[in-house]
Amino acid sequence: MTGRPDEPPAADRSGEPLLRVRGLKKHYPITEGVLRREVGRVRAVDGISFDVYPGETFGIVGESGCGKSTAATTLLRLEEPTDGEVLFDGADVSAASKAELKRFRRRAQMIFQDPTSSFDPRMSVGESVAEPLRIHGMRDRDRRRRIAQDLLERVGLSADDVDRYPHEFSGGQKQRIGLARALVLNPDLIVADEPVSALDVSIQAEILALMRRLQEEFDLAVVFISHNLSVVREVCDRVAVMYLGEIVEVGPTERLFADPQHPYTRALLSSIPTPDPRERGRGIELTGDVPSPSDPPSGCRFHTRCPEIVQPDGYEFEQVHWRRVMDLRAKLDRGEVGRESALDLAAAQSTATAGATDGARATGTPPDEARAAIRRAFDLPEALTDERAEAVLSEALGLVVDGDSDRAAALLAKEFSTPCERRRPRAAAVDDGWSATCHLLDGSRRSEGVEPLPGRED
Amino acid sequence: MGDEPLLSVRDLRTYFRTDAGTIRAVDGVSFDVRRGETVCVVGESGSGKTVASESITRLIPMPPGEIVGGEVVFDGVDLLSLSDRELREYRGGRIGHVFQNPQGALHPMHTVGRQIVEAIRLHRDAGKREARERAIDLLDRVGIPDAAARFDDYPHEFSGGMKQRVVIAVALACDPDLLIADEPTTALDVTIQAQILRLLCDLQEEFGMSVLLITHDLGVVAEIADRVVVMYAGKVMERGTVYEVLENPSHPYTLALLDCLPGRGGAMRPLGGALPDPRDPPSGCRFHPRCPHAVDECGAGDQPAMGTAGSPGHEVSCVYYHDGYDESAIRERRAADSNEGVGRADGGDGR
Amino acid sequence: MATDAKPSDDASFERVDWDALESEFGGLSRRQTAFLGAMAAFALGVAADVAVGGPLPLLGDPAPLDWLFRLTLLLGTFYVVLPLYDDPRMTRHYWRQFKRNTAAVISLGYLAVVFAVGTVGPTFLPRPELDLLARRQPPVFTSVAADVPTTCAGEVVNGMCHGTWQYPLGTNAQGHDMLHLLVFGMEVSMQVGLIATAIIVVVGTAVGTSAALFGGLVDEVSMRFVDLLLTVPTFFLFILIVYLYGGSLFLMILVFGLLSWGGVARLVRSEALQRSEEEYIRAAENAGASKAWILRRHVIPNVSNTVITAATLTIPFLILAEAGLSFLGLGDPTTFSWGQTIADGRGELAGAWWISTVPGVFLFFTVLAFNFLGDALRDALDPRSEV
Repeated sequence: MTGRPDEPPAADRSGEPLLRVRGLKKHYPITEGVLRREVGRVRAVDGISFDVYPGETFGIVGESGCGKSTAATTLLRLEEPTDGEVLFDGADVSAASKAELKRFRRRAQMIFQDPTSSFDPRMSVGESVAEPLRIHGMRDRDRRRRIAQDLLERVGLSADDVDRYPHEFSGGQKQRIGLARALVLNPDLIVADEPVSALDVSIQAEILALMRRLQEEFDLAVVFISHNLSVVREVCDRVAVMYLGEIVEVGPTERLFADPQHPYTRALLSSIPTPDPRERGRGIELTGDVPSPSDPPSGCRFHTRCPEIVQPDGYEFEQVHWRRVMDLRAKLDRGEVGRESALDLAAAQSTATAGATDGARATGTPPDEARAAIRRAFDLPEALTDERAEAVLSEALGLVVDGDSDRAAALLAKEFSTPCERRRPRAAAVDDGWSATCHLLDGSRRSEGVEPLPGRED
Repeated sequence: MGDEPLLSVRDLRTYFRTDAGTIRAVDGVSFDVRRGETVCVVGESGSGKTVASESITRLIPMPPGEIVGGEVVFDGVDLLSLSDRELREYRGGRIGHVFQNPQGALHPMHTVGRQIVEAIRLHRDAGKREARERAIDLLDRVGIPDAAARFDDYPHEFSGGMKQRVVIAVALACDPDLLIADEPTTALDVTIQAQILRLLCDLQEEFGMSVLLITHDLGVVAEIADRVVVMYAGKVMERGTVYEVLENPSHPYTLALLDCLPGRGGAMRPLGGALPDPRDPPSGCRFHPRCPHAVDECGAGDQPAMGTAGSPGHEVSCVYYHDGYDESAIRERRAADSNEGVGRADGGDGR
Repeated sequence: MATDAKPSDDASFERVDWDALESEFGGLSRRQTAFLGAMAAFALGVAADVAVGGPLPLLGDPAPLDWLFRLTLLLGTFYVVLPLYDDPRMTRHYWRQFKRNTAAVISLGYLAVVFAVGTVGPTFLPRPELDLLARRQPPVFTSVAADVPTTCAGEVVNGMCHGTWQYPLGTNAQGHDMLHLLVFGMEVSMQVGLIATAIIVVVGTAVGTSAALFGGLVDEVSMRFVDLLLTVPTFFLFILIVYLYGGSLFLMILVFGLLSWGGVARLVRSEALQRSEEEYIRAAENAGASKAWILRRHVIPNVSNTVITAATLTIPFLILAEAGLSFLGLGDPTTFSWGQTIADGRGELAGAWWISTVPGVFLFFTVLAFNFLGDALRDALDPRSEV
């Protein structure tokens, strides 16, 4: 917010970062039975690294479930991190003692998404705003009240509002009060978790403008977490894009938005609906849902949905067909495509086309039809352009129809293997302070087995 | 375009009687939905857009809700004059409804297949097997992979986007002529939102139905709408085709709404003030207390009659489009404002 | 120090000198001081009573039950009355919500009278004494056959004995004034209802909220203990105690209070679990609040509507239970419980109908009033209701 988009954000970075996050992980164990045996873990945040400089706004964007909110609560140590370091002003927060932690709390505050649930309904807003003062030892009740009144005025409300209760305010007003509460301890860092997502656009704009004004007035560093890329673009100096617990791209907002390097960033940006009806239907559509963070895909976590997934050595696919072959492979691996479902599909499709109510299954579906049905279900052409690839695909489909899905899956895995699933990509620098974690950029397609480096190059 | 619209809402008024006074949620709203087109009703929360859409099939709770006036003509029949029983034929039959939160729209303890089958058999004399086949077909058409296998799954086994697809399948169960979708993508991520919007477009073509989409998101409007109705405080401010409204926005409220959109390179300008009290709306144009272009006449009488802006179908409820005013004044002042950079930066959303 | 600054200056949050505040002595607020003072005075009183063993100056000779009742009243004052007094805005709001329910307002008035009379009355009224001459006097304005009372205190007209103002509600078979019995019965009912409920609320809330907030082992152990507790047949246990030690109101209250908090603890736990998901808990945590602070400032106040509703509905249950046990002769023979009075009169319904009826009617209305009150409180205390 401090720098206008056209200025290089590097200009803001005078000296040391205020917040330094290194390899932060937060896993939630999945337990079973009375003894709470761990049977797996949800990797909500899985090794993220970034820096936030004094006075800048650092955005974290991603879809729901990508771990951005967990990242916020973990870096504030509202939840104990599983691994990694959080350095605030040079001191390690994750190893802080009780007293140190309390001092850290004074300097790092949070704003929440839901303006309704972020206030205790049984406390007047004055009490809520002044509560942190009380917690940190200010005993003078009248002084606390005066500070709360002063702050409410500064965020655009009236001093008389101190005695009113949260339910008497609108969502936008409550978010102003939330800002007042976050400011009351005069912090250096504010973590804002979806602060405007619950508000109408007209109110959003006001809250964002207020945040910007306060940030300039008090020289705050802000970590701004949102799923809304437009809002992030509006307020952030730098932005990190998260996918399934990892940062896939980080860089200066305007440049990153203008020329996204990671395929996921590209897809995300193109799916923002713009108020221009002539742009409709231009988005890159991502297939499928976000995979579960309890069992993230191997290699690059985005490879299961990536439209630009790297093709296997020795084959030449049309990129869209290659994506669909990979979708088929994933389904086969999960055992969701087999002889039965292929026959069902063929029967359903023949019913749909021929209008016959009696399923073709009774009369027996010819294997050819079942194979074709699978192709249609995955939008695959009748023959791939690459003959050798086509041969492998037909063989695999033949195996599926013969009821041997396991061998089909093994065949496809062996022949159509992509570096995206084999190796984790490493962060590749695009420019100063701008990096993306993708095989298309890191050149590691040739040099195997390199572990990813921290998200940002210093 | 000259033929009879499928749905014609005329001067609809829906009030809610509460202890603290009468809330005029919808106060004289008119719009048409023609066959095969998508109409978006757009407005902020509290604009009455949801109440307007729910009044069509009288889904609002009555009491305290009450439709005090107007008519809703669907395919030649005034739905407001029908008995509850006759209306039930339309709900879920010829008019399907998709709600914002897919979580709440599905029964958590029934399989999705059963819910679609029930929807089919409620309005159609279909055998169990026939209904089941149709349900699988519907699941397939809304893009649920491996529909036959997922027929017996429970809602919690689906992701948010997949659940919304199931809800759409339920709404499509009886081949509706009109699909009313109330914020169908608000609870979803952008990437999933794009999938659902595309699905709605495809299905509309496939089923040849009309869609009435309620949304607060002008981006969604641009993506899917043929025509747009902009609502504010229970009144229609502007209506026209999507190109007319978004490329040549004419009502000061539509302009302000577009100006609040973030992510256009720092040009964001908040709209000051707050929605008027729906129990005691301002006289004259409902928007005049917040309107940067308001003149004395704006505060007098009732909401200004519709004037045309540019093309004949593009109607605007604003005195600037009446005789004796020059609408270009709005545009000139707006251009001057945006040159000042971030104008009214922090308006204070009052109360 | 920061507090020396001019008032206009110290109202600004940027000027707070945190290092100075951090080193400041962590004193107590006025309310905390008052509460601790009251508790100390109470402890001193109990200690003196134990030490002296006889009547005390000013305090008389309170029984253990009286001490418990005083403690209950003390807790009620500090945790219900004072917060309401401190926050007139919210109190007015609750009152506006509450008074929508006319039946509940009448109930509240009735219960206030019963409470006041039951608490104060017994100290001024003499204990009912056996009076063979005044047996079975009819209530004023009514009459019975002249052979029902031993000697009719009022006029005898046409062989009918008329009631007098001397015994407005008549007397029972022992010649006890029904009005006095009623007042002493109120004391018993209030003691049973309020003390046992106070025990249930305090223990249940403490266990429920800590189980929710601390989770893990604390949660597991305390909730399994609650499971165990809920299997204890309180009624039979109490009968056993009566056979072993004889009937005693004090024991009855302790048994019911200490064995019945399981339900409240569960209710509070689930409510507190929901509350602890709320972002304001996160906000307090992020401001540096300790678990104890969050428990006291946020969790307990926000589960209070559940607790208060549950409590107002527990009170009538306990009053009925005491009356029932006394009716069966399992109560405290030294008290004048309504249940006991009703039991005494059950053989005389044909002649002296009022002996069972009068306390019966009061029991009925008291229980009903608490139920109305509970319902109305649940509605009024809902923080989501609009002002």
